[in-house]
Amino acid sequence: MNALSISNVSKLFQSPQKKEFKAVDMVSFSIEEGKIHGLLGPNGAGKTTLISMLSGILSPSSGSIEIFGTDVVRETEKAKQMLGVVPQELVVEMAFTVEEVLYYFSGMYGVPRAVRKKRIAEVLEDLSLSDKRHERARSLSGGMKRRLMIAKAILHKPKFLVLDEPTAGVDVALRQKIWDLVRRLNSEGTTILFTTHYLEEAEQLCENITLMNHGVIVKEGRLKDLQNEFSKNVIHFELFDRSVKHIEAVREIGMEYEYPLVNLAADLDRIAKHYHGNIKSIRSEAASLEQIFLDLTKN
Amino acid sequence: MSQMWALYAREVHRFRKLWMDTVFSPIVSVALYLSVFGIVVGGKMIGNLSYIQFVYTGLLSMMIVNSSFSNPGFALIISKNVGTIIDLQLAPIKAWKIGMAYALAALTRGLVTLVVAVLATIWFIPSFGLHNIVYLLLGLVLTGLEFGMLGVTFGMKAKNFEALTFMTTFIMQPMIFLAGVFYPVAALPGVWAKIAVFNPIHHNINILRYAATGYSDGNPLVSLGVVLVISLILFWAMYFVTKKSIRV
Repeated sequence: MNALSISNVSKLFQSPQKKEFKAVDMVSFSIEEGKIHGLLGPNGAGKTTLISMLSGILSPSSGSIEIFGTDVVRETEKAKQMLGVVPQELVVEMAFTVEEVLYYFSGMYGVPRAVRKKRIAEVLEDLSLSDKRHERARSLSGGMKRRLMIAKAILHKPKFLVLDEPTAGVDVALRQKIWDLVRRLNSEGTTILFTTHYLEEAEQLCENITLMNHGVIVKEGRLKDLQNEFSKNVIHFELFDRSVKHIEAVREIGMEYEYPLVNLAADLDRIAKHYHGNIKSIRSEAASLEQIFLDLTKN
Repeated sequence: MSQMWALYAREVHRFRKLWMDTVFSPIVSVALYLSVFGIVVGGKMIGNLSYIQFVYTGLLSMMIVNSSFSNPGFALIISKNVGTIIDLQLAPIKAWKIGMAYALAALTRGLVTLVVAVLATIWFIPSFGLHNIVYLLLGLVLTGLEFGMLGVTFGMKAKNFEALTFMTTFIMQPMIFLAGVFYPVAALPGVWAKIAVFNPIHHNINILRYAATGYSDGNPLVSLGVVLVISLILFWAMYFVTKKSIRV
């Protein structure tokens, strides 16, 4: 079953000068239950607008969005109950402590009063916030506020978790911790959609990605397939002695040599036999997500 | 339904945390008004009532109206400014339940403030009693809810603090002052007495004054009907504005 099905979704905004602007244009994609899916794109690509629509905050101008088969527009509350959302902006309650924020927010998702405190303790422990439970939420540091927002989103054990740039502005250690949490929640059955600017993050966590630019999808699919499609399929190598006779089809590029890749094992064997102990370094080139991203969004 | 009560509990907790602003300061206002008017025109009679009894019920009504209106109004504006309005947008709670949670919290604040104010000031009011308990309960609940719902409607609609302050300073306050808090509307000259009857707050004050003292500026049953109709209209207004605000 699909956790998320987005079909021909568009969102039109009107400026105060009555000028129309399409933030999302006929977007369609789906996420299979139990997967971690990355939604990537440069600033202004339409990622947050799309997330706002699937979270039930914005109404789509056209198209349909379903969470586990439930239409987000027609059965908003039922769809929202299955969702946990970590918004991009750090916003916290001014008056309440960390524990109070979580207590009332989980209540708003119907977590029974009898289990709320226990659940809050578990989540605070997971996010290393236990010692901050009685502190005012507004006095927390940026990283702690980010963790508090993640805590709010997972308290009611959502089937589908949406994280809008969850690691923006957090340090390396915390980023690693968030990745671990995402992996663990996913292993427990939670489907996860997240947007990120850190492409290495998408490479670490996602099996599938959707790349957006100017409100449209420019590429989607399995990360491995995209890497294969965009990789240059060549072997690069460097030699100690550059004056030797070369294999046919080898091209000199700067200090390196390039050989067209057909079969990795056979080609490596051929190069090794021909150049013998003369090889200084050798690598096959797979396209990084960063290359794919830049290639697809450069215009 | 439990989700609505969680939101209600949050809003009640919020005004409890800020009790100096939300509960104590309205009581200080009532005490100041009472001392000034009690000293200046304390001996005057209005019908069978002493002026201090008359103005006391008016001031308590004014306090409920103000407390109930400002509780959701300011909470929602702050929430919009800080960005925590997103909690309401994300939560799986229907728009009317969000509105009612805020309105019920407003009613609670109005009642808490009233009880504390009465306990603090009733000792200075000679022979103050209770005339009709049914009117009192209906009057209190309907007034608290009515202005709670109005506060939610304006809090959801207003874009900033200035808009809400404009509403309280230039619309609510004149309406309260012209509704018969300090004088019987029948005492107004000519056409003004007739116009005052169309002021909705006049009917809230009329019910509560009648419930406490038996004095009425017109039929209290008519006032009850007017308040009920206005409450129903405000419920729908609150519902539509809330629905539009939580889903853009």
